[in-house]
Amino acid sequence: MKIDTIRRHFREAYRGIVKNSWMSFAAVGAVAVTLMIFGVFVIFAVNLGSITDEVGDNVSMNVVLKDEVTKEQATALTTKIKGLPNVNDARFISKDEGVDEVKKNLKDADFTRVLQKGENNFLPNLIKVTPKNVSVSKGVEQAVKGLEGIESVKNSNTAKELLDSVLLFKNIILVFGVGLAVLAAFLISNTIKLTIIARRREIEVQRLVGASNWFIRWPFFIEGGFIGFVGSVLPIGVLLLVYQGFVKMISGGSQNTNLLQMVGFADMAMYLTVSILGIGIFIGVFGSVLSIRRFLKI
Amino acid sequence: MIEMHDVWKVYPNGIEALRGVNITIDTGEFVYVVGPSGAGKSSFIKLMYREEKPTSGVVLINGVNVKRVRDWKIPHLRRKIGVVFQDYKLLPHMSAYDNVAFALEAVEVPTKQIQPRVEEALELVGLSDRMKALPSQLSGGEQQRVSIARAIVNNPGFIIADEPTGNLDPENSWDIMYLLEEINMRGTTVVMATHNKEIVNTMRQRVIAIEQGIVVRDEIGGEYGYED
Repeated sequence: MKIDTIRRHFREAYRGIVKNSWMSFAAVGAVAVTLMIFGVFVIFAVNLGSITDEVGDNVSMNVVLKDEVTKEQATALTTKIKGLPNVNDARFISKDEGVDEVKKNLKDADFTRVLQKGENNFLPNLIKVTPKNVSVSKGVEQAVKGLEGIESVKNSNTAKELLDSVLLFKNIILVFGVGLAVLAAFLISNTIKLTIIARRREIEVQRLVGASNWFIRWPFFIEGGFIGFVGSVLPIGVLLLVYQGFVKMISGGSQNTNLLQMVGFADMAMYLTVSILGIGIFIGVFGSVLSIRRFLKI
Repeated sequence: MIEMHDVWKVYPNGIEALRGVNITIDTGEFVYVVGPSGAGKSSFIKLMYREEKPTSGVVLINGVNVKRVRDWKIPHLRRKIGVVFQDYKLLPHMSAYDNVAFALEAVEVPTKQIQPRVEEALELVGLSDRMKALPSQLSGGEQQRVSIARAIVNNPGFIIADEPTGNLDPENSWDIMYLLEEINMRGTTVVMATHNKEIVNTMRQRVIAIEQGIVVRDEIGGEYGYED
């Protein structure tokens, strides 16, 4: 394509936006609002994603051994479990080691006082098994249950439930986000339709004198893409400012706390900019395509 | 050269606009297409610039079968044909100059060539001094001359005119006819659908008469042949 032609396409796209300035403004506003909501979801999704990864890594199960299992047998069982498919790690925790671990994790003085090593230790011997990921944990549990000397398998249900709800939430966000994007695309499509109607005479003349179909279409693509682009810039700016403030507030200056580990500002800036800008331009062009296909009879 | 071999045009509502038309128009000819309203003249004209496709039969423009031309190649076919309409189809917000330049921009003519070619076309139609005028500031005859300038600026081999004098008074109609005659003298084939009895009977060119979709008369130096 010649430079003159490219310049002309941009000029025509600009003319279309200015001519329907109120409708373009409304479309930009609609895209901005849509992408703002979408961006909030992206922030949630990215942060939930990082939590999911963390939780997913920590889904382990406690394999309780029968009382009659000796230490040698327990060691042999541990090695056997380690060799099972989809098992990342298996570690034997004896009754006494169990006492130390419970005391380390729990600060409840009354409870820890009754825990004693030796003869009166009521904790079982167990093997802590870490599957490769949460999706294979059920299979690992079944495989371990089939082995000899196993009393029961206690799964970390809280982690699994949290994980399930996070995944569900992520899917809801995805569906909602796609719905919003489609809505914005229709708004842009409507704006482009107005431009096409306003220019139907020009298009008719262009066809008659032999303009190529792409020559006629390009300004509308650019117009849609530009509306999508402008509609993306505002939400990106606002969301990044808010996120930066939020990260600072939560972490009190540092980005890590023990309670909540948020995705860093730089990473989030990249996720937000790429996803919102990409989706903004995509729905802009997609909106144009919808109108071009329906109303531009060339 | 334009050829039609056993061309039928049947619209989806069942109307048979053309029924077995056979015609050959040689390069450089001037042809009037006449007939009552609804006889099929417009369909005949539209087939030539591929606004319509024949339902059956073959339409050849310089040997190219227009029915077989792929959609993306149609613009290249249209560049060889200039079309003039009764309602001029000018862009109201553009000056006479810009209306003509628009046709060159649309086919991506280099910017440097646009100005001399537009000025030459407007000079040929006698509007050198009205280049900056908007269509609303021009008379009907002048507007039609701008539309002719737009049709010839790409140096097409054919001019297809659908009732070009339909909206004009007799004086302006004659100006347009002299202009089309001059363009024809320079070697461009002109095919013109018209209801103007006086013009056809005075100019004495080839006349193709269509009635109910059939060519009923085709004579060199013919007359209009109808009372309206």
